[in-house]
Amino acid sequence: MVRPITMPKLGQSEEVGTLVRWRKKVGDSVAKGDILFEIETDKAILEVESFFEGTLLKTIIQEGATVPINTTVGFVGDPGEAIPEAAPQTRVDVSAPPAVGAALVAAQPFPSSVLSQQGKAPATVQEQPQGLPLRGRTTGIAPSQPQGPPLPGIFRISPRAARLARESAISPAPIVGTGPLGRIVERDVKNYLESKGYFELRITPAAKRLAARENIDILSLDGGPGRITVTRVERAISEKPQAMSRMRQTIASRLTESFTTTPHFFVTVALDMTELANFRSELKAQGASYTVTDFILKAVALSLVEFPVVNSTTDGKNVRWHSKVHLGLAVNLDQGLVVPVIRDAEELSLAELHDAATELIAKARTGKLTPDEMGGSTFTISNMGMMDIENFTAIINPGESAILAVSSTLKQPVVRGDQIVARDIMKMTLSSDHRIIDGATAARFANAIKQKLEEITLWKRLA
Amino acid sequence: METFGVVVIGAGPGGYPAAIRAAQLGASVALVEREFLGGTCLNYGCIPSKALIHTSDLYAQMKSSGSLGLKTELASFDYSAMAERKNQVIRNLRSGVKQLLAANGVKVFEGTASFENRKRIVVNSSAGRTAIGAEKTILATGATSSMPGFLPRHPRVVESRAFLELKSAPKRALVLGGGVIGCEFACMLAQLGAQVTVVEILEDILAFLDADVRRELRRQMEKTLGVRILTGMSLENITADQHAVQGTAGGAALEADLLLAALGRKPVTQDLQLENAGLKTNQHGFIEVDAYGATQVSTIYAIGDVTGGPQLAHAATSQGLVAAENACKRPRRKNEKLIPYCVFTSPEVGAVGLTEQDAAKQGKEVKTGKFNFGALGKALAIGHSSGFVKWIADAKTEQLLGAQAIGVQATDLIAEATTAIRAELTATELARTIHCHPTLSEAWMEAADVLLGEPIHTIARKRG
Repeated sequence: MVRPITMPKLGQSEEVGTLVRWRKKVGDSVAKGDILFEIETDKAILEVESFFEGTLLKTIIQEGATVPINTTVGFVGDPGEAIPEAAPQTRVDVSAPPAVGAALVAAQPFPSSVLSQQGKAPATVQEQPQGLPLRGRTTGIAPSQPQGPPLPGIFRISPRAARLARESAISPAPIVGTGPLGRIVERDVKNYLESKGYFELRITPAAKRLAARENIDILSLDGGPGRITVTRVERAISEKPQAMSRMRQTIASRLTESFTTTPHFFVTVALDMTELANFRSELKAQGASYTVTDFILKAVALSLVEFPVVNSTTDGKNVRWHSKVHLGLAVNLDQGLVVPVIRDAEELSLAELHDAATELIAKARTGKLTPDEMGGSTFTISNMGMMDIENFTAIINPGESAILAVSSTLKQPVVRGDQIVARDIMKMTLSSDHRIIDGATAARFANAIKQKLEEITLWKRLA
Repeated sequence: METFGVVVIGAGPGGYPAAIRAAQLGASVALVEREFLGGTCLNYGCIPSKALIHTSDLYAQMKSSGSLGLKTELASFDYSAMAERKNQVIRNLRSGVKQLLAANGVKVFEGTASFENRKRIVVNSSAGRTAIGAEKTILATGATSSMPGFLPRHPRVVESRAFLELKSAPKRALVLGGGVIGCEFACMLAQLGAQVTVVEILEDILAFLDADVRRELRRQMEKTLGVRILTGMSLENITADQHAVQGTAGGAALEADLLLAALGRKPVTQDLQLENAGLKTNQHGFIEVDAYGATQVSTIYAIGDVTGGPQLAHAATSQGLVAAENACKRPRRKNEKLIPYCVFTSPEVGAVGLTEQDAAKQGKEVKTGKFNFGALGKALAIGHSSGFVKWIADAKTEQLLGAQAIGVQATDLIAEATTAIRAELTATELARTIHCHPTLSEAWMEAADVLLGEPIHTIARKRG
């Protein structure tokens, strides 16, 4: 029996999903639980498993396409079975560039070079097949029109001129047309090439072929007067602006929003972790393995209950007090940062926090976190202790009012009594939203965490 | 103490051109050589081996020229006369090099050079010690045959240099090592009627070539020349006495009059006292250089075999010219990367650039175009219809990236391919270039047509 596969809804806030990669090819057999495809949400790349058994008969949605939730993306069934007529898919491309950029890009076969000439480096550049762009529209270039008024917004070029430009591997966009209605004719391209010194360039045949193929404007290449070789064109190809992943774009916009709209200030405390380290070793010897992060999570959860203002949110006008502590834990992955959330952390014991953190971190590393496990935090901890750093500051997660940056524990000379002794010192820096948290509050909160982590009798009770 | 702008150590195919180029650029130049001008290449490498191989090849052709209408039953050879002609060629070339150096004002010092410090070099010879000053130094000391300890030290066990000085050819020969040197001498001896066995520890001879080229070479060496080739085996239990040299490979007992060890070459640095100049060799004994030929010491350059790399005379020459230019003027240029290979086996092999097997390893998509000499008029006319040429091109742009040729004059034919690849031509340009008819070089044009799917003289493979 033929069964449709649909774009799953993986989180409450997800309306669309981007199919990044098919993991099965048409004709591949599919078992229950096999990974069919990968989707990208704002927060992560996720694998989608099959609920059915059979053969992948058809894929409707191409890799890279963004479609609404529940859209049919393909069919699984027995080989030879007829596939029902699929209703036309409404495709939503949420990653499309802004209108001006899109129009410019669509108008020219050499998007990157044209845009960079105009000083507008786009975040998103769409691939354009050769030839197609010539029928497009432009808003950016308005050549002077000696022979009659140009129709606004139309990029006009004769087929022969377009062909010469294509074969010369140059962008016709900057060329001023002298034909009817400002149309670019072959003579204009020749004059342009002449004026740019194109005919003095020594371009190897393979370099010209590659540049034409990859829409690289030969005239935009840098690198001095020598022969233009494939190496130079390849360098230009590798430097073409490329769209960042949706995840990266989301990180970029959220962090920019937070850092530019939230007045951050920072307080740093140094903790003596020597005794806690010893206690950890003792526990380990007894078979109870805790990480430093576990202790920090517990200490932070306890402190947040004492300082509800640090567990609140403001938009500058209103303040929202959170009655629960949902702790975000920043986890670094190759493709970016994810922040899984431990819910109701104030209710969890040290052992429960350990289990929750361990599970979420493992899921994060294997790409198994669901969007709901990555949202709703009220406070975030970023632990870079394993990265061998003295101290750092973090940017507050939007929707929160503070974030704790935990640095490495380093052996340092410390004065105890009148003696200099070697102790394990760890620095923590709290970033706070000054609209709602005052300096003294932040200082007290940071010290509350410090006191707890340095107080071994507390842990002997909690562990 | 006499001080020079550039001191070149080693007068091989890398060193003496470097000295001449530096002199052309206005530097005062000293060239230090402890043996003969021309180095390994001219005296006991490329040139003498080609002199002998030319004779053996001619002899083999005569013996098999009945089909051409010649009667050559009485053909025979005199190895000592062959060797004497070879020596004459060496003497001619050596005196030519001497005249070139003199004409360019290069001062030649005979002796062994060693560093006292970065700017001071001592030349030791039987005549005494001479100290010279050096603003810049180019190290071109080359390499010498490896003779691992497991080989018995006996007159019946020789490396390439001693082999070239033999006064007679062995009737039965064991060749240890199926690289370029081993295969060339194996073919030469087989052409002269010797019973030859090649033992190679790797899975195939000349592993840097593509499988189809190796297959064709091996087929011809085994079938036409009767060479026995044992691959994936090591030669063990080697003994030599006054009657024979013996060993076992893969359980088979082997016996011969002579064992030729062709097991690679190791760099020559031991007398240089590099440490006095602040230089070190790498773990394999080579002097490492950057893309411009400079060592860790900016005034000292190194070129050729002593730097590792492909160990080819023509590569050393090119590097020598680059080093000399970089020592004398700005802007500096980088060493050429595209180095053609030539193997003077029977049949000859030429190779340059990317191979299919390397493309597969790099995951690079390529297209190939192959043309057999069997379909080429000139090859048939001269009675050499086996072998082929092959292009390897980028699958998307059809840029020519590599070429291999096997067959008659393949070592000359590879030059056109090298020029085309360095000029970054595409298959289309090559296919449109008019080639003389009838010549062997037409094969490149035809192979480019094959690559483009539009061959004239062969049936196009159906594109699927």
